[in-house]
Amino acid sequence: MTFTGPRPKEPYQIPPGEEVEGPPVTARDPRAWAKENLFSSVLNTILTVVFGFVLAFLTYRFLRFVFVDAEWEIIQRNITNLMVFHFPREELWRVWAALFVLAASAGFGVGAAGTRRAVEIEEGRGVAPGRGMLLRRVAPLVLLVGVLLVAAGSLTATLLVLGVAATAIAFRLLGRRVPARYFRFVALGVLVGIVASYLVITAFGGVPRDDWGGLLLTAFLAVGGIVISFPIGVGLALGRRSSFPVIRLVCTLYIELIRGVPLITILFMSAFALGFFLPPGTERPSLVTRALVALVAFTAAYVAEVVRGGLQSVPRGQIEAAQALGLSPLKTTRLIVLPQALRAVIPALVGQFISLFKDTSLVFIVGLTELLAVAQSITKQPDFLAQGLFVETLLFVAFVYWAGSYWMSRESQRLEQRLGVGTR
Amino acid sequence: MTETALTSAATVAGGTGEAMIVLEDVSKWFADFQALKDVDLTVGKQEVVVVCGPSGSGKSTLIRCINRLEKHDKGRILVDGIELSDDIRNIGEIRREVGMVFQSFNLFPHLTVLENITLAPRQVRHKAKAEANTKAMEVLERVQIPEQATKYPGQLSGGQQQRVAIARALAMEPKIMLFDEPTSALDPEMIKEVLDVMEELAESGMTMIVVTHEMGFARHVADRMVFMADAEIVEAGTPDHFFQNPEEERTKQFLEQIL
Ligand SMILES: Nc1ncnc2c1ncn2[C@@H]1O[C@H](COP(=O)(O)OP(=O)(O)OP(=O)(O)O)[C@@H](O)[C@H]1O
Ligand SMILES: [Mg+2]
Repeated sequence: MTFTGPRPKEPYQIPPGEEVEGPPVTARDPRAWAKENLFSSVLNTILTVVFGFVLAFLTYRFLRFVFVDAEWEIIQRNITNLMVFHFPREELWRVWAALFVLAASAGFGVGAAGTRRAVEIEEGRGVAPGRGMLLRRVAPLVLLVGVLLVAAGSLTATLLVLGVAATAIAFRLLGRRVPARYFRFVALGVLVGIVASYLVITAFGGVPRDDWGGLLLTAFLAVGGIVISFPIGVGLALGRRSSFPVIRLVCTLYIELIRGVPLITILFMSAFALGFFLPPGTERPSLVTRALVALVAFTAAYVAEVVRGGLQSVPRGQIEAAQALGLSPLKTTRLIVLPQALRAVIPALVGQFISLFKDTSLVFIVGLTELLAVAQSITKQPDFLAQGLFVETLLFVAFVYWAGSYWMSRESQRLEQRLGVGTR
Repeated sequence: MTETALTSAATVAGGTGEAMIVLEDVSKWFADFQALKDVDLTVGKQEVVVVCGPSGSGKSTLIRCINRLEKHDKGRILVDGIELSDDIRNIGEIRREVGMVFQSFNLFPHLTVLENITLAPRQVRHKAKAEANTKAMEVLERVQIPEQATKYPGQLSGGQQQRVAIARALAMEPKIMLFDEPTSALDPEMIKEVLDVMEELAESGMTMIVVTHEMGFARHVADRMVFMADAEIVEAGTPDHFFQNPEEERTKQFLEQIL
């Protein structure tokens, strides 16, 4: 938060020689806690009992289904299909290689960030992370990978995953040795790593992304969509506030048009009508590209609106102070306004990206086989046909989406906490 | 130098006597509302001018016109010989020479104290990082809080924040400093630490225009008092004269209210 009104008072200093009494230590007796919170009144007791019963029943039915009734064979036998679908099996090593590259760059980045954080704490700014914070952060992903491995039941896959994890840890240690002042280059390195992992799969006689499917395609569309739509959305938001009427008009028109149309429509238009917008004679981009364009076009408009809200939240005084110092309008925006605006809207922004991640499931309507489409199609395999295994496959898909979304949401909370330090 | 009342604010009464800021016939409108009416004011090199007057009288507008945070509609403004026009280069040049301190500090909350101070020297004056850092520590020493360099503004008290704001302006090595009610947002016990810094600055020969209601400070530090009401400069004079024998009725009323 930035403030415009009167300033906070000097932090309260304990007068020397005076003992401070902490708050009274509350007993951590579970029975006392339950009595206080769950059974404090008749109404509360009734509520506790009724909802406790409902909850217990639902949990029981759910667990019973998952562990007893459900037939997971369909998932087990199709795990590779669910992950990559028709991706050529002899090229699967590329996906693993990409995972290794990703793990290395992510580990390196996290390690370097840790070092920088340590310096900040030493200098009296920045808060120390809680114990085991990193593990808690990636918990949803670890759970996801665990489930996938159990489903795969393959020793090779398990060993490879362990290798990927070991790589991440090793590179994290390496990243820790990078002095804080070089963090900028590390950030760049991580970006290069992400691009490299894409190239490992596609380049040098690799598999073009039109042959991708399953979770791989879902992840590609989500990551690609986020990475591309974010800068475009920021640009649109700035354009909407531009002092040039033409730019303002174009950006506003674009945002309002896109926001008035359902994503499905945009996907169809991009899949079947994109040709009209391209100069004649250009080759028609592939289906995956067209789907990505639609997702980006859609998300960018929403990102723009979110960012616009952030821009409005930056007090006028900030801009005036920058101007008074002689900063150009461009530098004022880049160095003063945008950083504060983006910080203010992290939760909404990540919410938008979570939406995008889940919305990638819509690309099946233009003929792409991402995770959900694979799940649908495997129920029609001769071995599983007409056995009513929709619940199993849908549950599995839902779990994958939930793990990804929950992870993003937690990262957003953490980022917020971390960036909030200086602005309290 | 004049001991009697100064008839017009256009006569310099302190510093070296050379003109540093000249306003001629400056008028400013917000839509239909006139916020400045034909203001004439000359501020000499190294002179300290304190501007006071009732709320809404146009004090902020006056000093904000000097570094083009507001655009004047009529008249001429010259700062160190450069005329403020629509020419962006002139505006840039003037802003580099004029430091400003705001009532609400306006520190950049996402940057540390050091980064707040080095931002403009590096981005506007294109100084090397090491040089900018050295300069920053120098100005922080001057406002007496070098130990806060790595903190964020939100971790400082109001008085400390305002001193950082002053340091941030000083790091650009301005020839002129404008203060718009720098102590109004502060708790009483922090006002003095900021006024002390400003006094030291005045003694060092900085050209200053200060909008403030701290009359003790004004009496002690100002070379000249300027009283504004209803978008006009009503009266200007040396502090002794201004406080003891104000000539205008509106000035008397105002002084009665605040003293
Ligand atoms: N951006 C603006 N748009 C419209 N009117 C404005 C604007 N800025 C100032 N005004 C008006 O101009 C007049 C002078 O304002 P100014 O801020 O200069 O007064 P001031 O003397 O600094 O008062 P205060 O002691 O309250 O700070 C006021 O009536 C104010 O309402
Ligand atoms: Mg004012």
